[in-house]
Amino acid sequence: MKFKNGITEKNVIMKCGADMMLPFAVVFGIYIILFGTVSPGGGFQGGVMVAAAAVLLYLAYGYNTAKNAINTEVLRVGEACGATMYVILGLCGLFVGANFCRNIFFDNGAVGDLISAGTITFMGYSVGFKVLTGVGFLLLLMMSLLAPDSDEEEEEE
Amino acid sequence: MKAKRIVAIAALAIILIAGLYSVIFAYTNIAKTYDGSDVNVVDLYNNPTQYDVSDPDGVADIIVKQNLEKTMAANNVAAVVFDFRGFDTLGESFILLTAIAGAYVILSKSKKSKKEDEQ
Repeated sequence: MKFKNGITEKNVIMKCGADMMLPFAVVFGIYIILFGTVSPGGGFQGGVMVAAAAVLLYLAYGYNTAKNAINTEVLRVGEACGATMYVILGLCGLFVGANFCRNIFFDNGAVGDLISAGTITFMGYSVGFKVLTGVGFLLLLMMSLLAPDSDEEEEEE
Repeated sequence: MKAKRIVAIAALAIILIAGLYSVIFAYTNIAKTYDGSDVNVVDLYNNPTQYDVSDPDGVADIIVKQNLEKTMAANNVAAVVFDFRGFDTLGESFILLTAIAGAYVILSKSKKSKKEDEQ
């Protein structure tokens, strides 16, 4: 079923399932990124889980809605920002006087606290952000090839 | 052509026989050094400083203790990935960056060429 504003409505079951699962997928992926140093998981795994939410959007509402909902320029820039953040956090060890990727300020709090591990936590966050944006951008790029009529609608706009 | 094929088959057969022999030799003649079945995980996590290190299964204890001393991270895998092997993770994430850049170049080019074909 097609509307005039470019939104294509898919199967009702797919739509309701995606509506129900999407918040849980995003929240659980972000939880895995944030608690990477305490519980099993980490930046790579949680980032891919959050990026998979874009697939749910595509399955339920089609390519145009997914592309309108997610800003691909922000994703492309954000991946480079995540890589730069990782390098800067790795260079923090050099400023202290140790080697690259040395863990600094890890003496605060008890074992099991969120930021007790020092730079490891923030390096995990930067890698998670980088994987989230990079894989999301890659998935949107691949979806654009699956949508044959996307170019024509863009030209109409 | 035929001689090449015979040589390739002979080489593959020699490699297969050598691999089978080495597997059988290792399984029968070499004793097992580390088997994780004896590690008491609950004891290890509750009190890593007073765990028995005399047998090879105490290796896990050493890993946990050293990690807690050096990084204070409860997840040892995260400590290894981001601290002890930080350079490796840097390379991995840049491989992802390069792969996405290559996919962007190829896929956007194919999109453009489709448009040109239609015109």
